Amino acid sequence: MSLVAFLLIAIVGTTLALLARRWERIALTIGVAGLAAAFAAALAMDPTTRLEVGGSVLAASSYLRLFLVLGTFVGLVLALIGLVAGSRRDAPAVTLGTMGAAGLALSLPDARIAVLAITVGGMLGVLLTIVPTGARVGAGVGVRDLRAVVVSGAMAIAATAWIGRDLGELVAQPVVFGLAYLAFALAVAIRFGAIPFHILVGRLTDAVPETGLPVLLAWGPASLAIVGLAWVDSSIAPLPVDVGPERAVVVAIAVASIVLATFAAWIQDDLEHVVGYSIVGDAGVVMLAFAALDPAAWTPGRTWILAFVVTRSAFAAWAAVVRHSFWTGRLPDLRGWAIRSPLLAVALVVIVVASIGLPGFAAFQARSDLVDLAIDGPLQVLVLIATLAPILYYGRLLALGVRRLDVTSAPAVEWRPRWTAMDLTDVRGSAMRLVTANATIGITLLVLVLGVASLLTSIGAFGGPQAAAGLPPVQTLPGETTP
Amino acid sequence: MNPALAAVAIAILAGAVAAVFVRDARVAVLALAVVLLATPFLADPIAATSGLVARLIGAVLATYLLWIPVRDGAHPTGGSRLGWAADALVAGAAAIVGSVSHGLGAPATGPAAASAVGFALAATAIAPLLTGRDLVRVGIGLSLLLQGAVLVRVGLGGTPSALEELVIAGATAALGGAIGVLAMAARSDGTGGFALAEELPPRRRRQTDVRPDPRPAPPSEERS
Repeated sequence: MSLVAFLLIAIVGTTLALLARRWERIALTIGVAGLAAAFAAALAMDPTTRLEVGGSVLAASSYLRLFLVLGTFVGLVLALIGLVAGSRRDAPAVTLGTMGAAGLALSLPDARIAVLAITVGGMLGVLLTIVPTGARVGAGVGVRDLRAVVVSGAMAIAATAWIGRDLGELVAQPVVFGLAYLAFALAVAIRFGAIPFHILVGRLTDAVPETGLPVLLAWGPASLAIVGLAWVDSSIAPLPVDVGPERAVVVAIAVASIVLATFAAWIQDDLEHVVGYSIVGDAGVVMLAFAALDPAAWTPGRTWILAFVVTRSAFAAWAAVVRHSFWTGRLPDLRGWAIRSPLLAVALVVIVVASIGLPGFAAFQARSDLVDLAIDGPLQVLVLIATLAPILYYGRLLALGVRRLDVTSAPAVEWRPRWTAMDLTDVRGSAMRLVTANATIGITLLVLVLGVASLLTSIGAFGGPQAAAGLPPVQTLPGETTP
Repeated sequence: MNPALAAVAIAILAGAVAAVFVRDARVAVLALAVVLLATPFLADPIAATSGLVARLIGAVLATYLLWIPVRDGAHPTGGSRLGWAADALVAGAAAIVGSVSHGLGAPATGPAAASAVGFALAATAIAPLLTGRDLVRVGIGLSLLLQGAVLVRVGLGGTPSALEELVIAGATAALGGAIGVLAMAARSDGTGGFALAEELPPRRRRQTDVRPDPRPAPPSEERS
């Protein structure tokens, strides 16, 4: 029942928070409390749960549990950082709803329902695009995001519906299988904003606060990618049909995203754009898992997705705290940031290690395996090197951090704890002043916590590779034999 | 073909054509409501009561959330530039394609009418999605596309399970809510109604926003 408890908490919490969005504090409180409750429910989830609901099976798994534990934990930390660094009143509710949709989708063996659930989660994300000032511009970005979500959802629905039935009397050409595969892969690429669908990423990074970007660009699309990988492995990969041209398109999207998005992140002057394109670059590796068309890509693909979403969330949180601390996200204005806030420098180094990885790390191995499986020949080495290219933009950020300040009047940065004498006649006021005075150091520490979590995920310390190796849920009702 | 299914199909097609054709946003939303309310009945057999009720509630909720920003009739939507006859011909042609290609190469377990109307809704949605310049028109296109995809799925795979109907209802309501919120945000900002903001030229370089930049800014660049 713990899976049901998680879904109920997510659905009810999201609904209540959105109904109360007129009252900002209440909406935020419900959203944050809902995330905390969902985190507890995910921790308590029994991975062997199987139940029938409305004629369909819901089945938990170790991977689902780990995905939801990490997702709700990261979402909770991002929400707390957003409370200080600035975010949207709907951000916790959207995160909770996205996690609820992911929980439902990943527990469903029927991909046709799963893609619908993920599409619902994606629709919630448009709430983060509404800018308090300049609502029309935000609404324009939001409707374009909504268009991407619905178009990708429609493509995935059509693809899964075509193969999700008895094809024993098939009279169509096998090319149709390739088109279904391509439709789902393109749906995932559109959701991630992979190149050439990256225009939306630039707009979203302008409209959505940094702490909201991971939910829109990483966690939601990642759940669609996981469903897609299960569908491809069960429906396309075992078939003896030639899908070479379609596979070439997916490989091209993956390689273009890895190379060009990393280059774009390197040359950007705005921190939020660096975050956005870094997500697109890592999503290119996810697309390699689709391009592999090999059951051997199942485990590394899902291992990489776990590491990627947590690491990029930590990077986005770091960017949010940098903007809050230095009142800018423009890189030329951030000269000397590491000297002025050493804790942020430590956090970035941890995130860099988690993101790039080291030989022996689960994420590093998973990425290497995906490149091996998806690409042959000399291009393989080049792509493998390209996956390490994020060191370029990380190096740029770190180099800026240790550069000498060019303006002597740069504002001081609160990065050390400040203790004030407690006024016993006004304990509440004293406590509030203490919290306010240490808000920046507090969210810096939260970034550090996220960085460590991303490092542990990248290493595989939470059992990610073992969980990722588990089989996807299958459509058998309770009492039936599981194949 | 089952006459009842044919009648439902015709009602959906008429609603879709009206939704993309008219300029009065209220009429467009009401026409979309016809599509949303009739779509659950285009299945053979019709879904179980629980699923059907969920779909109808989802449709009503979506319509209500879309109705909120348009109910005063103060701002029109774009409407079709081609005229209702062209939209109807597009829908009809797509319906024929959907009907004759029913199953898409393998025996289908749903009615051919669902495939036909699904194709028609998707084709009708193309113009609003590609050329729509206001939120309501694009939103109507998105709703039609989603319903079209669901109908194609019904045509191929048969009547959805109760849980799937519930998720479809959630998707319908969530999409209506998302469009409604975006439309309210747009109309509350200035006098442009539901119109999308003009696309600005790509920004080549953002000016400094925290400390004075000693270098003089070129006059042609945008200052954030």
